[in-house]
Amino acid sequence: MIALGCIALGAVLLMLLSAMPKVRMEHCSLFAFVTLLIGLILTLTSFGELFTFFPLPKFFHKMLIVDSYSVYFDAIILSGALVTSLIGTHYFQTKRHFKKEFFSLFLFSVFGMMLLVHASELLSAFIALEIASLSLYVMIGFQKVHDKRVEASFQYLVLGSLAGIFFLLGSAFVYAGLGTTILGEMGNRLDTLMGKDVSLVIIGATLILVTFLFKISAFPFQNWTIDVYDGSSLPVSAFMAATFKVAIFGFILRLMLVDFDPIRDTWDTLFIVVIIATLLYGSFLAIIQKSLKRMLAASSIVHTGYLLIAFVSIGYAGESAASSIIYYLVAYFLSAMGAFGLISYIAADEHVRVTYEDFRGFAHVHPYMAAMLSVFMLSLAGIPSTIGFVGKFYIFTGAIEAGYTFLAVCGVVATFVSVYYYFKLIALMYFYPACDSDWKDVPSLKGITPLTIGLIALAIIWGGIGNTFIAYFPGVDFLIDTARLSYMSLFIK
Amino acid sequence: MIGLTHYLVLTGILFSIGLVGVMRRTNLLMLFFSTEILLNAVNIGFVAVSKFYGDLSGQMFAFFIIAVAASEVAVGLGLLILWYKRNGSVDLNSLQMMKG
Repeated sequence: MIALGCIALGAVLLMLLSAMPKVRMEHCSLFAFVTLLIGLILTLTSFGELFTFFPLPKFFHKMLIVDSYSVYFDAIILSGALVTSLIGTHYFQTKRHFKKEFFSLFLFSVFGMMLLVHASELLSAFIALEIASLSLYVMIGFQKVHDKRVEASFQYLVLGSLAGIFFLLGSAFVYAGLGTTILGEMGNRLDTLMGKDVSLVIIGATLILVTFLFKISAFPFQNWTIDVYDGSSLPVSAFMAATFKVAIFGFILRLMLVDFDPIRDTWDTLFIVVIIATLLYGSFLAIIQKSLKRMLAASSIVHTGYLLIAFVSIGYAGESAASSIIYYLVAYFLSAMGAFGLISYIAADEHVRVTYEDFRGFAHVHPYMAAMLSVFMLSLAGIPSTIGFVGKFYIFTGAIEAGYTFLAVCGVVATFVSVYYYFKLIALMYFYPACDSDWKDVPSLKGITPLTIGLIALAIIWGGIGNTFIAYFPGVDFLIDTARLSYMSLFIK
Repeated sequence: MIGLTHYLVLTGILFSIGLVGVMRRTNLLMLFFSTEILLNAVNIGFVAVSKFYGDLSGQMFAFFIIAVAASEVAVGLGLLILWYKRNGSVDLNSLQMMKG
C-alpha cells in the first residue's frame, strides 16, 4: 500500500518537475527509476507473508484490498516497469522525440496497474483500468513524428474505450442482479441466490469477461494486438506485453476465484472454444509475419492461449492452476521483456530494420547478442532448462489434473508449431554467412541496457535449472510456493 | 407508472444506438459521440438500479464514469487534432496504413 502511494507521489512530482526548464530528460529517467526501485523494495518487505486487510477503511471503505496476492502481482508489475526503464535508457537517449512528461505517464500507468490488482470494487477496478490505459494511449502516440504511432494510439484508444464500456455495462448488470459491486460481498450474495434465476449476473459477468478477453488479446478480439504493438515504440510494447497482461490477470483471477465461483462452470465451453481458436489463429499469425516485432506481438496471442488453459482448469484444480498462471506470467514477462528489450537495443538506430532476413548471419558479427536472443527464443518456445519450460510444464500438468487432457494436447501442439517461428530466427542467425546489412549501426555492448538484458537472460536460465547449483538461494520452488501462498490469501475471511 | 424495467429498456436502446454508431460511423468525431452515448446509456442504468435498491454506490459509479469519459475524450481529441494537422482528414478510412 505504501508502495502504491510512493508511485503515485512520484508520478505527480515528476509531472511538476518536468515543467521546469532546468530538469533534463536524464534526470526524469533517473527519478522514475528511483521511484520504482523504492516501490519495489517496499513491496518486497512484505513479500512471501500470508495476510489480508483493507487499508484505511474510513477513507476507502472496502474499495481497496492489500493481501499477499496483490503484493505478489505488485512485485511482478514493479520489476517489469523497473526493467523497462533500464532497458529503455539507451532507446530514450538515442531517440530525441521523447519528452520529459513521458516518464510521468509511465509512472501513472504503473500506478494504474498496481491499483488494478488492489481493487476490491468494480468501480475502483474500472478507474484503475482507465488510468493504466489512458497513460498507455498517450505513451504509444508519444513520438508524433511517425504516423504509425498516432495511428496505433488511435486504434487502441477507440477499441480500448469500447472494451471499457463493455466492462461498465457488465458491472451495471451485476449491480442490478446483486445490489452490490464490492468484491467478496458479491460472492456472498451470489451464494444466497443460488437455485434462483441469476441470468442477469451471468450476462453481466460475461460482458466483464469480454473486456478481459479484449485486454489480454484472446481470440475474437486479437486484431488490434499486432498493429498496436508494431506501431508503438519498442520499450512501450515491451512494457505493454509484459506488465499490462499481468495486471489484468491479477484482477480477473480475483474476480473469478472469489466472486463468480458459483457460476464459473457456465463459461467452460466458451473458454474451450476461445482457447483453441486463440492458439490456432495466434500461431497462424505468428507464422506469416516477416518482422520480428510483429512476430513477437502475434506470439503474445499464443501465450494468452496457454494462460487461458490454466484459467479454465481453475474450476477443478484451483490451487495448482492459479499458481501456475501466476508463475507463467513471471516466465513470460522475463522472456518477452528480454526479447523486446534486446531488439529495441539493436534497432535504436532508425536505419536498422528487424525482419527475419536482416538477422541472417547475425551471430558471426555480434555473438553475444545472438546468444542472448537465442536464450529468449528458447524460453518463449518452452525448451527445457529455461524458465519458459517450467511455466508451460505447470500449466499443462494443471490442465491434465483438471481433466482437460485435450486442451493440454492442443497447447503442446501449439508449442511445437511455435518452435518453427522462434527457431527460424536462431537458425538464420547461426547457420548462414553474414549478410551485408547495416550492422555498423548496431550499438556495441556498453552501458546499463545490455547489462540488464544479460541479467534477464541469466535469470531465465537460472529459473529453468532451478536451485540445484546454488544452495540456499531462492529458486523456482520459492516462486511457486509464494504463488500458492498468495492464492491462499484470497480466501482468508 | 415508470419502473426500473423502463429505465433498463432505455439503457438498452441507447446502448444499441451507440454501438451501431461506433460500428458504422467513419468520422472519428462521430465515433467519439457514439462512445459518449454508450457511456451515458450505462449511466442511466446505474442510476436507475441505484434508485431501485436505495443504495448510493451506483450513483457514485455514474459520477466517476462521467469523469473518466471526459478524460478519455480529452486524449482522443488531442490525437484527433494531431491527425488532422498531418492528414487534413478526420475520416477513419485515412487511418488504414497498417494491415493486421
